[in-house]
Amino acid sequence: MDVNNSLSGFNSMASTFAKDVDQAFWINFWISIVLGLSVLIPMFYFAWKYRESNVKDEEIENVTHNTALEIGWTLIPTMLMMVLFYYGYSSMKSLRTMPAASESIVVKVEGSKWKWKYEYPANKAGHVHKITSVYDKKIGDVKRGLYVPVGTNIILEMTAPLNDVIHSYFVPAFRMKEDVVPGRMTKQWFKSDVVGEYEVECAEYCGTAHSYMYSKIVVMEQADYDKWFESNAKSPFEDASAAPISKGQSLYEDNGCAGCHSIDSEATLVGPGLKGIGAKYDAEYLKNAIINPDKDVPAGFFPGVMPPFALSDADVAELVKYMQNAK
Amino acid sequence: MSKTYFDETHCAIGHPKSKFMQWMLTVDHKRIGIMYAAVMFFYFFIAVGTAFMMRLELLAPGGQFLDGDTFNQAFTLHGVIMIFLFIIPGVPAVLGNIVMPLMIGAKDVSFPRLNWFTFWLYVVGTFIALASLFTDAGFADTGWTFYAPYSINTSTNVIFTLVAAFVLGMASILTGLNFLVTIHRLRAPGMDFWKMPLFVWGIYATAWIQLLATPVVGITLILAIMEKYFGIGIFDPAKGGDPVLFEHLFWIYSHPAVYLMILPAFGIMSEIIPTFSRREVFGYRAIAISSASIAGIGYLVWGHHLYTSGMADTAKIIFSFLTFFVAIPTGIKFYDWVATMYKGKIILATPMLWALGTIITFTIGGLTGVTIAMIGVDIHLQDTYYTVAHFHYAMLGGVVFLFFAGLHYWFPLVTGKMYNEYHGKISFYLQFVGFNLLWFPMFIAGYYGMPRRYFDYLPEFQIYHQVSFLGAVIFITGLIYMFVVFYKGWTKGEPSGTNPWNATTLEWHLPTSPPPLENHSKVPYVDFNPYEYHHGQPVVKFDYKTMQRID
Repeated sequence: MDVNNSLSGFNSMASTFAKDVDQAFWINFWISIVLGLSVLIPMFYFAWKYRESNVKDEEIENVTHNTALEIGWTLIPTMLMMVLFYYGYSSMKSLRTMPAASESIVVKVEGSKWKWKYEYPANKAGHVHKITSVYDKKIGDVKRGLYVPVGTNIILEMTAPLNDVIHSYFVPAFRMKEDVVPGRMTKQWFKSDVVGEYEVECAEYCGTAHSYMYSKIVVMEQADYDKWFESNAKSPFEDASAAPISKGQSLYEDNGCAGCHSIDSEATLVGPGLKGIGAKYDAEYLKNAIINPDKDVPAGFFPGVMPPFALSDADVAELVKYMQNAK
Repeated sequence: MSKTYFDETHCAIGHPKSKFMQWMLTVDHKRIGIMYAAVMFFYFFIAVGTAFMMRLELLAPGGQFLDGDTFNQAFTLHGVIMIFLFIIPGVPAVLGNIVMPLMIGAKDVSFPRLNWFTFWLYVVGTFIALASLFTDAGFADTGWTFYAPYSINTSTNVIFTLVAAFVLGMASILTGLNFLVTIHRLRAPGMDFWKMPLFVWGIYATAWIQLLATPVVGITLILAIMEKYFGIGIFDPAKGGDPVLFEHLFWIYSHPAVYLMILPAFGIMSEIIPTFSRREVFGYRAIAISSASIAGIGYLVWGHHLYTSGMADTAKIIFSFLTFFVAIPTGIKFYDWVATMYKGKIILATPMLWALGTIITFTIGGLTGVTIAMIGVDIHLQDTYYTVAHFHYAMLGGVVFLFFAGLHYWFPLVTGKMYNEYHGKISFYLQFVGFNLLWFPMFIAGYYGMPRRYFDYLPEFQIYHQVSFLGAVIFITGLIYMFVVFYKGWTKGEPSGTNPWNATTLEWHLPTSPPPLENHSKVPYVDFNPYEYHHGQPVVKFDYKTMQRID
């Protein structure tokens, strides 16, 4: 993530509709300046012109009506407001008019405490990319994100698990945002013409690690994207053929555990660090801590923070094994 | 020397001898107003302190001394106190209580005992609100909006806060009811609606909102409690409920509530501007009617809080369209106020400085609100610091600034003493500069994508948080300074006389300063407009013993 104060990941207007939103914003800005000055300039002028030392009592006049002016300052702002309404409406149109699914890549997005998950359509080999994106506090960057080809329509079908809370998928550089609501599917779309990395933030307050619920969108050249998409690699920047990771580590990453639990230290991120956890608790406790975390919460932590994970017994066993080996 | 309301009082129960019990049991609207002020500003400073803690935490990226959960509780505490304990009762409970009956020539509100009961209901509500600070589960961490399903899932003590908001809402309804009846039934003979001072118009419009909108939030809070403890499944998606329904119900009240906050404050502005311009107000009826129409249209625009909630696009378009019509009566008021200064004689006393300062801050607060009424733009700016800056410009830079203006303006009425003008102005400038430094950078940070309610942020945004922090230090210095000025004014100030500002409305035509227990000696007959000036002097003069006109 960019840390040199460039704000490039936020402000580069990297979606096709960003210019419409910014145009509406700046039209509003200049109309606001005009309307604001139409109040403030007379105010300052009158405060100066009719200052106490400058006015004799008999010069004061009780002007209480001026029909032409009153009609003017009713009608002109009304018309300007309608202009603003129109640009608010038209910029929404370009944000919210979904392209046809047949001409787009439809990605399922799941927001939950405190990770974003992406699920792509199957590739030619039938492999379905499932990516979990979590923020790593230690490196100040997001591990994995949403990978998309440049100049292509992307439709996001977003939801949250039923036992979770509302989140909001906010991409400042694209000027887009929509809440991610448990129990319903919301949609937004974008097309980016600029290769780059763009921050994604959760904008609807969701609890302890709300401020760390980041993800990123990586806009890539078509060829790079295709190469990754048709492979089994977890991301375009990870080599599928490199040293295979254990099943447990894979589960650990895919379920977003790393967003809250550090595997290689005892430091608390949101939940306890897992280094040396195997020496403190037996496998049964660790298993229950995954499938029913509220039952027996360690001292200093609160129930209701970690959601229960519905995993198969075999997967839980793999995860526990991975945790026990965390040293 | 004749007796004032500090010397004698009527009590709800019996005739206690002790001064203390006389205050506790008083039904006098002026004493009740003072007690509201004491309780409200006590909580106000707690909320300011909480906000300062958050600013301190945000001075640098990364966690310094608050963790995420504590920060979340801190902004919830800040919001709950500021909204439910301070700014909603705010101007009506303090200045409405003290000034409104005096302005219409009444001896008290229509139901003085109910007024007393309402005050204590409010106090009980505040205790319930803060009681959960001292329970094991801790204060709620939901934000003052209590959005489901978060408020239903969290392990913190949400129920106390919900119950408190309910009780405080009840107090708000009773205040509104009392004021409505008072304004309808107790106006001095001859004072028709078009002869009422504009502050009374503001209180009147507000009272209708209190009465009609508050029950909706009561229902919502009850539903949230039933959802949380009995699992009725109205908001919880796991049971087939809809969390977006909660957002709708919440904003059906809470959006009119922002007009409930601002309308009486606008009323204060409408009193101060003519008085310190020494002339009749421009467009009296336009100002009065715009209050009523803001109150009316305010009911129909709650959906503009939900542009990104997943609501249908058609609904967004309708809500956006209606929202722009709130801007127009608001704009008319501002033009009328500025036009009132035309060919007047502008006395830049502290209340006027606050009023003019508010014209600047609220213009910014109002116009940035127009920005986020535009759907496409709001989709970007919703839930960012831009929105935070907007509502602090409108609420603090609008409602609270005008509240402070009113406190200065009616300070001699309430205490019979004058505060120090020189120091009053210093405190204004400190707060005005600090305020703008504190909130203006947030517009920029929000535009770049700094989300609200983040206890940690990316280093890109640090500069904005640093400037904000500097502003906060200056602002709070000015705030404390102002209360020192008030304290010194009350204890050591010069006697002010009954009409220090050369004002025209009835609250300045009292036999003693401070006022006697039952206000005017006789009920006046009102056959004049509220702001009649001739060559900079009030036209209407009374013999304060008989309340007969002597001009």
